[in-house]
Amino acid sequence: MAYSDKVIEHYNNPRNVGSLDKKDPNVGTGLVGAPECGDVMKLQMKVNPDTRIIEEAKFKTFGCGSAIASSSLATEWVKGKTVEEALAIKNTDIVRELSLPPVKIHCSVLAEDAIKAALSDWKKKQGDAEAKPAEPATAASH
Amino acid sequence: MSVTQTQRDETGRAAATKCWNCQAPAAATHFCAACGKIQPLPEGADYFVFFGLPEKLSLDSTQLEAQFHKLSWKLHPDNFVRAGDFERDLSLNRSSELNDAYRTLREPISRVEYLLLRRGLRKEGTTKQQAPPELLEEVFELNESLDQLREARAEGADLAALREPLDAAQKNFRQKLEEVDAELAGIAREWDFALDTAADEAKKQTLLARMNEVLNRRSYIRNLVAGVQKELAEA
Repeated sequence: MAYSDKVIEHYNNPRNVGSLDKKDPNVGTGLVGAPECGDVMKLQMKVNPDTRIIEEAKFKTFGCGSAIASSSLATEWVKGKTVEEALAIKNTDIVRELSLPPVKIHCSVLAEDAIKAALSDWKKKQGDAEAKPAEPATAASH
Repeated sequence: MSVTQTQRDETGRAAATKCWNCQAPAAATHFCAACGKIQPLPEGADYFVFFGLPEKLSLDSTQLEAQFHKLSWKLHPDNFVRAGDFERDLSLNRSSELNDAYRTLREPISRVEYLLLRRGLRKEGTTKQQAPPELLEEVFELNESLDQLREARAEGADLAALREPLDAAQKNFRQKLEEVDAELAGIAREWDFALDTAADEAKKQTLLARMNEVLNRRSYIRNLVAGVQKELAEA
């Protein structure tokens, strides 16, 4: 199976690799995994509590090229967005952008789950009333 | 996975069909008992049925191999060069199914995976598997420690000094893999026992779910083992 040019580009030059201070009350951390392939993905976001804008995003993924590219793209996309806008990102958007083949759709689902988990963690830290456990994304193939 | 995905009926047997040639009820899985003609795989037959085996996880690999050779010879397209197109196609399809079936059942892990797939616990791409958070934390940390060794090597650290932590990591991951394999083998024995004693469906479902959970854990550990092996090979 050949990776698309965009996947290869993100794989070779991943954006925003690293980590943020987990203890910072403005940092939300999402750690998710795909047991089918053994991939693990950590996504962290620093959110401005007043504007609810995501000012920083970092990721670290142990997995295949598509999982790395999906999380790299996710950090690029969420930066500068509000929490609500970031939560609206769907795995299908990632599939489209990276031209992921059907067998790699779960990588995009993982990235969507990671965004949701990180923001849910942030909300919890903020004592946000709407904080609730992240709803796992459902694998949509189109 | 070329074999039809139709489910078994309640008795666990594949639905009986008539022989395409002589219309006799085709009792055998591969050849008609009455006229001896090669048959399409019965509706709902799985790889276990293919080898005439119960849906059990312990099997005699020598016997499986012998059965595989016997069937390869019987289903081989060379035996059908003078037969009609229909039988020739059947022989080709059945031979390819046989190879898939053998490859799948031969390995204990793929055997469990196949059972779970047939039982609807591991549908590729649709059923999302969940991982417990503690496991993710642990796996992430293990991956990070491996990554640190990788970076140290890239930065030109003394290879001899890195060998030791890598060896330790390998020992640790391998031990974890052994533990998880032993756990899986234990549940597999319980599964076989449940089949032998005709346990109820709820009990079987519990065992299947447990095997699925262990198998998921196993895939993280397998990746770690592969990762450390790669580093050691290059160190």
